[in-house]
Amino acid sequence: MNMHTHDRGRLADAEEIIRISCVKHTYEDGTTVHLCGLDFLAHTGARVAVLGPNGSGKTTMLYHILGLMKPQEGSVTVFGVSPSEQWSKIRKRIGVVLQNVDEQLLAPTVIDDVMFSPRQYGLSETESRERAHKALALLGIEHLADRVPHNLSGGEKRKTALAGALVMDPELLVLDEPFEGLDPKSRSALLALLDRLAREQHMTIVMSTHDIDSVPEFADYAYVLAPGGRIALAGTPEELFSSADVLTEGNITPPILAELFARLRARDATAPAPALSVAEAVEALTAWKSCPP
Amino acid sequence: MSHIHIPDGVLPWWLWLTGWLAAAALLGIAARRATRSGSRRAVPLIGVVSALVLVAMSSEIVPLAYHVNLTVVAGVLIGPWLGVISAFIVVLILALLGHGGVTVVGLNTLVIGAEIALGWALVRTGTRLFGIRRIRPIAAIATVVTLAATTTMVVGIVALAGAPAATRGTGALDAETLEFRNPFSEGVFSSGLVGGHEHGETDAHEDEHAHESEALAVSRFAAVVYTLGPIGWLLEALVTATILGYVGKVRPGLLFSGAGVQGRVAHVGDEHGGH
Amino acid sequence: MDVTAVDRSAISGDTLLHHAAPASKLIAAGLLLGAVMTVNDPLVAAGVVLSLVGAGAAVRLPLGQMLPLALYPALFALVFAFAAAPGPVTGALIVLKAVTAALAVVTLMFSTPYPQVFAPIQRVTPQVVGDALLMTYRSLFILAEKFADLTRAVRLRAGLSARQPIRSAQATVRALGGLLLYSLDLSQHEYDILYLRGYEGGLRVTTQRSTDHAADLASLLYAALILAVVLVFRLVPALSGYSWLVTIAGAVDLLTGLLIGRRR
Repeated sequence: MNMHTHDRGRLADAEEIIRISCVKHTYEDGTTVHLCGLDFLAHTGARVAVLGPNGSGKTTMLYHILGLMKPQEGSVTVFGVSPSEQWSKIRKRIGVVLQNVDEQLLAPTVIDDVMFSPRQYGLSETESRERAHKALALLGIEHLADRVPHNLSGGEKRKTALAGALVMDPELLVLDEPFEGLDPKSRSALLALLDRLAREQHMTIVMSTHDIDSVPEFADYAYVLAPGGRIALAGTPEELFSSADVLTEGNITPPILAELFARLRARDATAPAPALSVAEAVEALTAWKSCPP
Repeated sequence: MSHIHIPDGVLPWWLWLTGWLAAAALLGIAARRATRSGSRRAVPLIGVVSALVLVAMSSEIVPLAYHVNLTVVAGVLIGPWLGVISAFIVVLILALLGHGGVTVVGLNTLVIGAEIALGWALVRTGTRLFGIRRIRPIAAIATVVTLAATTTMVVGIVALAGAPAATRGTGALDAETLEFRNPFSEGVFSSGLVGGHEHGETDAHEDEHAHESEALAVSRFAAVVYTLGPIGWLLEALVTATILGYVGKVRPGLLFSGAGVQGRVAHVGDEHGGH
Repeated sequence: MDVTAVDRSAISGDTLLHHAAPASKLIAAGLLLGAVMTVNDPLVAAGVVLSLVGAGAAVRLPLGQMLPLALYPALFALVFAFAAAPGPVTGALIVLKAVTAALAVVTLMFSTPYPQVFAPIQRVTPQVVGDALLMTYRSLFILAEKFADLTRAVRLRAGLSARQPIRSAQATVRALGGLLLYSLDLSQHEYDILYLRGYEGGLRVTTQRSTDHAADLASLLYAALILAVVLVFRLVPALSGYSWLVTIAGAVDLLTGLLIGRRR
């Protein structure tokens, strides 16, 4: 099964924003991550998820995209350039939220932190402030403007970091475990925001997560990394949920629903195709039950 | 740490002002070097090490009597030039918390900067000569020597304050005699109420004793600090040796190079800050 | 010396002083330091100390946390006074100066967030120094929290109690070692973030404005009055016999301040 096909209809005219080709990186302690198997691609307006267990190389991949690591083998291009060599050319087009948001908030107050990048890029104080307030309003945290970061809750810190990432209206947003520390309501709000940014502003969103069950909610396309960095699988959520066996072979825990429907199919070939959500699963199973074999 | 615990208003103005000027000059040089080697790397390193020193100082190992200073550790981690900047920041924040006078921030920066620099130099030389495996005894000896040297620096500063000066100090403490010219030296009831006498009438008598009282003041001060000091030096040596020994065992690459050893890209303008 | 407690008060407090502009408070602290340097009479100095405490009580600053910080330098001033001062009266003056200066800066820090105090300092220092000052502030809280976690973990694993001071001390030192490694990793991450977010130098702080001009005026006038009184007694030796009046005035200030503070 060719797992590299995906619906390009919607993205036919989309520009290729990121391409990672067989990148190898060896850490000081000897651990090697080999991001190979398939090329990693992200196009304009796509929401791309990078999935995998701990130690599979998700963060290594993101760090290569951000130019924090230089590939020892292979190549990485973002907006057509090597990010590790020409970051200054593309940094204004990219917003980042890393996993540990505590370390990301550098300034003494929320508003100062969100204004950080505009100020550094030479925007006037007035324009920096306007942009910062707009970003805070987008996240619904304008009331936190004068607060100090160390007194914020985990979720508030994450929203502040996101506001800082969005303040320059980036074309590419890179998020490392964006849902960590968020309560269900905040998580839904963030999902809705990311969806809006992708649809209305054609922002490309690349996010890493270990939450494979939630892929249909936030990704148009997903790459699954096996331990060691091998890109085991790439496809739409539907394709992912149909590949429980492939995932298991690659030592990756498949989505619960995918595994459920795979086992049903193994017992009974008339079992329905995998559903992407619980609601869909209920519909599909109810319909299957009421149909004669 | 040889933090000068001399309060504000005691040292003559010319002394603490000279301290400020010398510290400013040193900071200027250190800042230029830090910017040349990459402020993106220097700023977080200085910030983090200064914060580490402050957190260490607020951890009471022996409540009231002694607190860890980690100045020699700071020197080994970030070197002398970034260390001077860190010294200024730590001393300033301590002064703002009432821990050390504000006017003596300049002098304190020089003393703590010297502590960081000397500690770095001794540990670096020692490990080059005897190997990183002997870092514990090297660090211990280096700490004792460093603190003894900077304590002597403090005694020297007090001695300077006591040296004859052209002008009277802050007005409160006479730099020439280390005495205070106040009504009480002539008796409360002999001045003001009874008309009092001119200060000049007693000058000749005071001059005779000026030299003697100045010598007494400095030697008494030296006796106090050299008696109490060594206890602190030994405790600090123990702590420094333990911490550097631990780092030398688990991540020896961090010694003398600070951060930036994790296989990261060295970006243009951010050369690796090893020292 | 809990640096985080000072920050908590400065940020969450709601006294009259908290509403004054940082610039006013800095100038007031400067005037008070000028008074410290100029005062030459222990009775005048004592009056100033009492008055300052009274003012703090009147506006309901957390004196319980402030006074230990302000009195701490007295210990070392006593050592210095014993070592260097020619007599008990001058020794008392040395100690009172130390306490007054400490009280002035501690009052500033308990009512003004650190970055607001650092911002004017940033303007007169090289950029890398000013930026490092702000990074120190940010890193301080991250490391303080991490240190608390590490110390707790080490003590729990070693099964320590307060009655084992040597083993507790060893545990603290072990925690410091762990904190050191964490702090260097932290600096690497902060470097990454500065690089990603386009840092080219110049971390800026938005200056807080005054929300009560009366508070600005009050703090400036109060500090100026103290300096004026000190100067008068310094420049007019004939008044030295009446310096006990300043002590009485300070005591009255203190009592009044305590009453006002209680009433609110």
